[in-house]
Amino acid sequence: MADKQYTVVERIKLASDGLRGSLAASLKDELTGAIREDDQALIKFHGMYQQDDRDRREERSGKKLEWLYSFMIRLRLPGGFMTGEQWLGMHHIAGEHATEVIKITTRQTIQLHGILKSHIKPTLHSFDTLKLDSIAACGDVNRNVTCSSHPMESPIHQQVFEYADKISQMALPKTRSYYEIWLDKEPLLNKEEEIDPLYQNRYLPRKFKISIAIPPNNDVDVFSNDVALIAIIENNELKGFNIAAGGGLGTTHGSATTYPRLATVLGFCDTEEKVLKAVYEIITIQRDHGDRTDRKQARLKYTIDRLGVESFKKELELRCGFALEAPRPYAFSERIDHFGWNLGAGGKWHYTAFVETGRVTDDKRASFKTAFYEIAATGKTNFRFTANQNVIVSDVNEADRSLIHEILERYGVVGVTEQSSEMRKNAIACVAFNTCPLALAEAQRYLPSLVTKIEPILAKHGVLGDAISIRMTGCPNGCGRPTLAEIGLIGTGYGKYNMHLGGDRNGLRLNRKYKENLEEPEILAELDGLVGSYSREQETGESFGDFIIRKNIV
Amino acid sequence: MIPETKLNILQELINTSSKEEIIWINGYLNGLVSGHGTPATAKPSQPVKKISILYGTETGNSKKLALQFTTVAKQHALNARCTAVDQYRHEDLVKEGYLFIVISTQGEGEPPEAAKKFYDFLHTTEARLENLKYSILALGDSSYPLFCKTGEDVDAQLQRLGATRVLPVQKCDVDYEQPAEDWFKSVINLLGAGQHALQPVAAVPALSNDVAKKHTKKNIEGVITRSVNLNDKDSTRRTWHIEIRADEDLDYEAGDSIAIVPTNRPEVVERIIELGKADPEEQVNLAKSAGTIRELLAGKLNICYLLGSAVKKYAVLSGHEIPEIRMDLVDLLRIYPLKDGTPFAEVLNILHPIAPRLYSVSSSPKMEPREVHITVSLNGFLKQDEQHYGLCSSFLGDLPVDTVVIFYVHRNRSFKLPAPDKDIIMVGPGTGIAPFRGFLQERDVEAAPGRNWLFFGERNFTSDFFYQTEIQQYHETGVLHKVNVAFSRDTDKKIYVQHKMKEHGKDLYNWLVKGAVFYVAGSKVPMSQEVEEALLGIIEEHGGKSERGAKEFLEQMKKEGRYQKDVY
Repeated sequence: MADKQYTVVERIKLASDGLRGSLAASLKDELTGAIREDDQALIKFHGMYQQDDRDRREERSGKKLEWLYSFMIRLRLPGGFMTGEQWLGMHHIAGEHATEVIKITTRQTIQLHGILKSHIKPTLHSFDTLKLDSIAACGDVNRNVTCSSHPMESPIHQQVFEYADKISQMALPKTRSYYEIWLDKEPLLNKEEEIDPLYQNRYLPRKFKISIAIPPNNDVDVFSNDVALIAIIENNELKGFNIAAGGGLGTTHGSATTYPRLATVLGFCDTEEKVLKAVYEIITIQRDHGDRTDRKQARLKYTIDRLGVESFKKELELRCGFALEAPRPYAFSERIDHFGWNLGAGGKWHYTAFVETGRVTDDKRASFKTAFYEIAATGKTNFRFTANQNVIVSDVNEADRSLIHEILERYGVVGVTEQSSEMRKNAIACVAFNTCPLALAEAQRYLPSLVTKIEPILAKHGVLGDAISIRMTGCPNGCGRPTLAEIGLIGTGYGKYNMHLGGDRNGLRLNRKYKENLEEPEILAELDGLVGSYSREQETGESFGDFIIRKNIV
Repeated sequence: MIPETKLNILQELINTSSKEEIIWINGYLNGLVSGHGTPATAKPSQPVKKISILYGTETGNSKKLALQFTTVAKQHALNARCTAVDQYRHEDLVKEGYLFIVISTQGEGEPPEAAKKFYDFLHTTEARLENLKYSILALGDSSYPLFCKTGEDVDAQLQRLGATRVLPVQKCDVDYEQPAEDWFKSVINLLGAGQHALQPVAAVPALSNDVAKKHTKKNIEGVITRSVNLNDKDSTRRTWHIEIRADEDLDYEAGDSIAIVPTNRPEVVERIIELGKADPEEQVNLAKSAGTIRELLAGKLNICYLLGSAVKKYAVLSGHEIPEIRMDLVDLLRIYPLKDGTPFAEVLNILHPIAPRLYSVSSSPKMEPREVHITVSLNGFLKQDEQHYGLCSSFLGDLPVDTVVIFYVHRNRSFKLPAPDKDIIMVGPGTGIAPFRGFLQERDVEAAPGRNWLFFGERNFTSDFFYQTEIQQYHETGVLHKVNVAFSRDTDKKIYVQHKMKEHGKDLYNWLVKGAVFYVAGSKVPMSQEVEEALLGIIEEHGGKSERGAKEFLEQMKKEGRYQKDVY
């Protein structure tokens, strides 16, 4: 692309000296709660976004005050696992430095909002004390590695789970800037240790997401990732992984060259060494061949489609030095969280609590935050986060189960988990307003009340027990994976959504746009009609999404 | 601009002339330019060419470019003023001569959220803009179909309203730096092409009648045009920024105060009328004022915390024995009622006129000759209130826009800007920032070459940073060379302005040695004392002086008029 220039972000990365930029100076600037423009791109690699309270902009401008800037900090948490002690620490950090709400994301980690610039360093110091960090949680790097959350009855889960951390470590940037800038560590004398064979000095052209799924549960929506690993288990043994590449859901409204894509299965690898090598080289191919002139064309999915799947696979095998075997059979039959108590390997119990839109806080329905704090304080549990933004109180001994249950019940967690409708429990919304600068419409602040209006419609047609998946996002970036839902609502303007229909229930089929720019009355009217038809004409066991496709409604 | 040799001669002339001489020279030159060639009594010619730059931004790019353009314009001796469209007063549009708008397009061809009101106003106003010359810099993204539509819309609409487009709309894609810079250059060239119509640097319209004018205590009628609480909603403070507009050019200087006669609270007035069994509409003539009883109680007479002498007279009138203390009239009437049939006018005769309150001015008339701005703290008001005014008078910040206020200028001769080439250091925490805002406005308009350094402090950064966006803009456009801020309640360590002074002690001392003038404004105790202590400490440390030597240094500064205080 001789005539096209590298994007501004590329220039910033190259000039950043290992992602340092002028962050130190930005932090010192006492006139503003913001950081310099170039640093805003770099701080993402350190796990943070600069945000502002969009609801307050106009009023503050009138007061001659700048926008109310704050930072969102996201943890790097492979597989979404955290000890009870770490949870206690996060509880305090949220209260001291952030907005108190502990937000569980759609990729199994925690993000804290509302952190003022002057509080960033203390927050990261506190993380460090807990042996947590936010490295590469955002930015043009490998992001949080997700893994099927639900511990199975066999130790296989743990075996697969360990890959999450291994991959995360393998794909960590080598720069020491995080430690220098935030943790006040001394710069290394030997700069050679900072040389980064994987990311070099230009990192990736765009974000990169890796996920691991253990069939039959596709709770992680594995095919929405750049690299999808599917655990192949035969005779209760982990045989290896099928490797798929090229998933990604983000689009731009009105742009035909952007589209959601599911990862394509390329082949199978049996040993850990081969699996890690294959993942590594997929990253290097994207590093070398991804489009750095147009960020809207930069994701791996476009790289693969440009090169062609066969060509891509050949290059991968060339770089790996071995061929991928033929993919092994697998089947996903669900994509949900198993709420309530479940028994895992080694006699450990796990309670999956329903946390609407992943916001752990105390409100009039239940006191999730207090409950989890008290549970963590017992020292008898771990915590795991699901890709549906729910919390699993995990690894509980049989002897402690009733103690834990009593706490969950006392604070209303059990009540909310048991009484919420199937649709509500499986709904996903991204954050959108008031902090996300990309939001065109509400998502997390609106979907729960919309579901409250849809539930009567479902009840009217006798399908309230049906776990129809509905997902809402404030913009087409797709952080809430709306294109993989049976009903997807993608914001186009305030109060307006494009309605997508026809995804399947297990995350194996993308949905399609049905109608544009609908407001609430239209959304409800449409669903009333469609759900009505569904209830009358569905075939046995046919999901709403499958029904839509069969009837050619999209 | 003129060549350096000539500029040197001019500066020499300015430096060696008194203020009156400079005013004369200005008038002389004005006369030459307007073709009359007569000395000082010539009328001022057309004012310095003002250009207004507006920006409508979503992500900050339009703002960034607008500020860059403002800096460039000032470097070319243009009196450029930059405002966000959502802060722009719509009624000012008809008064503009030159208007340049930097605006981006969002999503499906829409203006940025913050620009919507302005955009709608443009498309619905019936104003005619025949006097307006304009050009638009439009930002957008060509991967969207309606590329730069908002910029185009604004351009077309201004045309429809009768304005003259001096340059076609400049559309920019995501790589906007070069086309924006080209547009800056084109605009500057265009304005510079009429170089003879521009006044030289630092010239301002002379109020040529100034020379003989006496500064009398003249009551001026003004109307409140803007009143906003500068503190954000979770603050423990409440501080109002109030703008007052008069129908005449105002004769004040940055650093002065204005005295406003407050009104009494309506509910207190009504209670008095009730207790005194007065007829509110009864016309009464007093020694110094006349009006209905209600009018006199509401706006002319002091009904709070009456002087002992007034209380004594009331005791006589009402026939009660009253202790020798100051009291509010309402309490007197309630506790020591009048005899039946006492004409209420006799009570009015006892009362003194309402004493005016003083407010620090936070503007300079060089920016807007007919406006005066003040910065008023509610907390300070309440404190004063209890001591002198009881709780009877209305707080100025509660008065709505369009309220008429009567005020006069209260000169502060010992708190003034020095010559434009002198450096100034301003320490103004809390409402102390008021006079310095005026200083900065004046230095900005006059493009004064002297350097400016501001120290500001308050409680919390996110909610109490008075005039933050203005200070940021001054810093970005080079009017403020250094700014340091201290927010005492943001951390466990209570950091105040004096700590910031010490942190930058070395530079501060260097500025003093180079002849900077040091100002402190705001609370007298303990702030100004602690600031002085810190100042002495800095002089000692960085000047290598003894304690006594530092005090002498400060005394010398005072003698030279380089240590000025406005504290209360």
